[in-house]
Amino acid sequence: MRSGPWTLLKVTVAAIYLFILGPIAITAAVSFNATNRSFFPPRGFSLRWWGEAFSPQWIQPLMFSLELAALTAIIATVVGVPLAFAFQRYEFPGKAIIRTVTLGPLILPTLVTGIALLQFLTVIGLGRWLGYWALLIGHVIICLPFSVRTIAISLQAMPGSVEQAATNLGAGPLAVLRYVTFPLIMPGVFAGMAFAFIHSFTDINMSLFIARPGQRPVTVAIMSFLDFGFAPTLAALSILSLLIPLVLVALLGRFVGIGNFLYQEQGRG
Amino acid sequence: MLTSTAPPGRLVPYLLVALPATFLLVFFVIPTAFLLSASFIESDGVIMTGVWTTANYTDLLSRPLYQQAILRTFMIGLGVGVTVVVLSYPLAYFLVRTPSRWRGLLIALSLSPLLASVIVRTYGWWVILNREGAVNSALLTLGLIDQPLVLLPSSMAIIIGLSHALLPYGVLTIMASLNGLNPNLERAAMSLGAGRARTFLTVTLPLTWPGIIGGFLLAFAVAISAYATPAILGGPGTQVMATLIRSFMVQALDWALGSAMGAILLVSSILLLVLTSALGNRRTA
Amino acid sequence: MAEPALRLESLVKRFGTHAAVAGIDLAVAPGEFVTLLGPSGCGKTTTLNLIAGFLMPDGGHIELNGRRIEELPPFKRDLGMVFQDYALFPHMTVTDNVAFGLKMRKVATDEIARRVSEALMLVKLDGFGARRPNQLSGGQRQRVALARALVIRPTMLLLDEPLSNLDLKLREEMRTEISTLQRRLGIATVFVTHDQGEALTMSDRIAVMQDGRIEQIGTPADIYERPATRFVASFIGSINMVAGTVAGSAAADGLTRVETAAGPALARVGGNIPSGREVALTIRPERLKLAEPGAAPDGAVAWNATVERVVYTGARLEVQLRLADGTPAMAEMTNDGTAAFETGEAVVAWFRPGDAWVIAAAG
Repeated sequence: MRSGPWTLLKVTVAAIYLFILGPIAITAAVSFNATNRSFFPPRGFSLRWWGEAFSPQWIQPLMFSLELAALTAIIATVVGVPLAFAFQRYEFPGKAIIRTVTLGPLILPTLVTGIALLQFLTVIGLGRWLGYWALLIGHVIICLPFSVRTIAISLQAMPGSVEQAATNLGAGPLAVLRYVTFPLIMPGVFAGMAFAFIHSFTDINMSLFIARPGQRPVTVAIMSFLDFGFAPTLAALSILSLLIPLVLVALLGRFVGIGNFLYQEQGRG
Repeated sequence: MLTSTAPPGRLVPYLLVALPATFLLVFFVIPTAFLLSASFIESDGVIMTGVWTTANYTDLLSRPLYQQAILRTFMIGLGVGVTVVVLSYPLAYFLVRTPSRWRGLLIALSLSPLLASVIVRTYGWWVILNREGAVNSALLTLGLIDQPLVLLPSSMAIIIGLSHALLPYGVLTIMASLNGLNPNLERAAMSLGAGRARTFLTVTLPLTWPGIIGGFLLAFAVAISAYATPAILGGPGTQVMATLIRSFMVQALDWALGSAMGAILLVSSILLLVLTSALGNRRTA
Repeated sequence: MAEPALRLESLVKRFGTHAAVAGIDLAVAPGEFVTLLGPSGCGKTTTLNLIAGFLMPDGGHIELNGRRIEELPPFKRDLGMVFQDYALFPHMTVTDNVAFGLKMRKVATDEIARRVSEALMLVKLDGFGARRPNQLSGGQRQRVALARALVIRPTMLLLDEPLSNLDLKLREEMRTEISTLQRRLGIATVFVTHDQGEALTMSDRIAVMQDGRIEQIGTPADIYERPATRFVASFIGSINMVAGTVAGSAAADGLTRVETAAGPALARVGGNIPSGREVALTIRPERLKLAEPGAAPDGAVAWNATVERVVYTGARLEVQLRLADGTPAMAEMTNDGTAAFETGEAVVAWFRPGDAWVIAAAG
């Protein structure tokens, strides 16, 4: 019964996949160019651009991004767990406002949040925070919604009766948290942490305004280097910075089963 | 409803939210409010004079360069929204309905661009579209053109790049609404004599319309505030609001104009959001 | 009755302005199996949640073995509960699930092992200890939930629609199994269900609930044969109901005369209903017999009726009738091959006075 139209759909979908994956594949291919221009198809084959991608000039911002993303993810999770609990389990005056403010950065343009932070820190005389501290603050603000939402989803997905059953069997509130609630939301907590990490690692709109030389994430470093041309190093570096979140998600998917959460993280509005 | 499993006490929720709420108040709410008020204050470079004015806005809205940038931004947003929806609908439909056992992998693959920075995704388009890029060399090799086409910088390139970057949002939103559709409704329509195309047009499409609108508005909202793609695939002739904000804040150091442009962007996004949730509420009503 | 295991006294629970439980009094004797039966929204689950401590009452008392417990948090009430969705901990094995309550009570490790294996044996799940809940069938999950609730040797057992997620055949098996186990352990039990079949077959007593109140409490036979209200009569099984007026007072044999539009009748009453009172005369369809016109036995109440339709259900026949005044009625009989009625046929519908029951209460 799925003949004509379905085949047509399959062909269309194949073309769309080409559109989705083509540019990334092309970037990967370009990084092996033997010339110093980003030709496609690549002319010759060489690994020298990859070698250059691992030079201190690029490893430094790459490591900076990793550190920033890891720290951001940890803070966003530590802060996100109590927030998600408060939102999911309690009714209290002011909840709607605090919730809106927490999830706000997901919806408001990151660029605007970034310039607001730049302007504010400068005006109140904390301009010296720009760079590392401002980046950490800014990234926590924009990554927090990811961890809060994911943890809230996992709290919501847990049947309430499971916690009631534990209580009924004699577990006090803390024992319920320790033996039942936390073990059951762990995949969600890790998934939220992964989302926060990826969002921080791939961000450019926040970092663009508040990074400072020497304290630049790799995205900002690539962006400023683009002013001088599109060297194949940048292609190598782009692929390298794509591999890091990919490996992270693959590992987490394998060990804590966050696959479901990637799918639930839908329709950000 | 049954809250007795959570630790009791009226203060508990406040203890849980106090620290994060304070943090967000200081570093997000106040700065954003500050930005909005700064847009109504005269400034001398990065120094606020404290004089209230609406000149920042009249400046932005009266000079052709800025007018064009604002208009271009919204045209690009519109183009991206439409492209994203047109491309994600068939993909989402396929992913929801396919019996393939690779379905999970295919879904992951279609969402994989989310893992890459927008720079990575845009870089590929630069390689494809530049003067010596994949498109031009293919067309030249085939002898279809004598001179390389000028595909960059252009608004069209920006629309292509952003549509590519934002496609996963469209796929997720439309998949969600297709998943929420009772497949028996389509079967009912067919059993009543509607052909495949008619069933799609009279049942499937109207019922997933909210998902389409949602995907469109989401892509639109993110596209108008994107910086990297317009910066890489565009040029001085294709300024958008985000790239202008960057030059106000970092190069021209005119923070008043930067704040005002930021405020316009902020308000546009909020309006789009309100529109989305209004349509969303109508859907659930 | 000895000191009750559980006593509810004027128990009230409101959600906003709506009283989900509007003043309930109930005593459950030691070892007794009491069912709360009613349609959804009648307050039966709310009552169970109040007993378990998941909800706090707005009024009234709950006593367990003479001790007030309404102020105690759920984890100090010592009640075993089986949830509708079983609420097994998905991240623990069967053994760990069953052992959970014992661990919370800080029981020694070797004793935990012994009691868990005993409990699993009791529900015929020995050998399943290492499995996870998602590797079990619905019936097996149900048994684990039961073992988990019983292993702590609770003061009483609370069952919240535990059979509603099982398929028909398994449900009937588990009915017998739970009943047998409950009687063997002699544990006082409160069972919540909307299924009258479960209530009738499993309970010592049934409390029929409606709008947050107990409409009637009694043995399954009381509830079925002597319903106190029209709601109870129509909620359980099917019933013929004819409006009428009491004529004269009840005789020594417990029978009273009722004038109905379908004809005069004699029927049983509980207590004394004053003459002239509007009542409902009820007869269960299996007690309403049919005969050729003029062939009703002596001493029976006989009304003229017309056959409207005969519904064939296999072992039984349901004959739908219209009485002389237009009231619809139904007679149900064994499909033993002797009955042959046709649509439009004139018959007499008859019953023995002892088989009809008069409901006085309005509503």
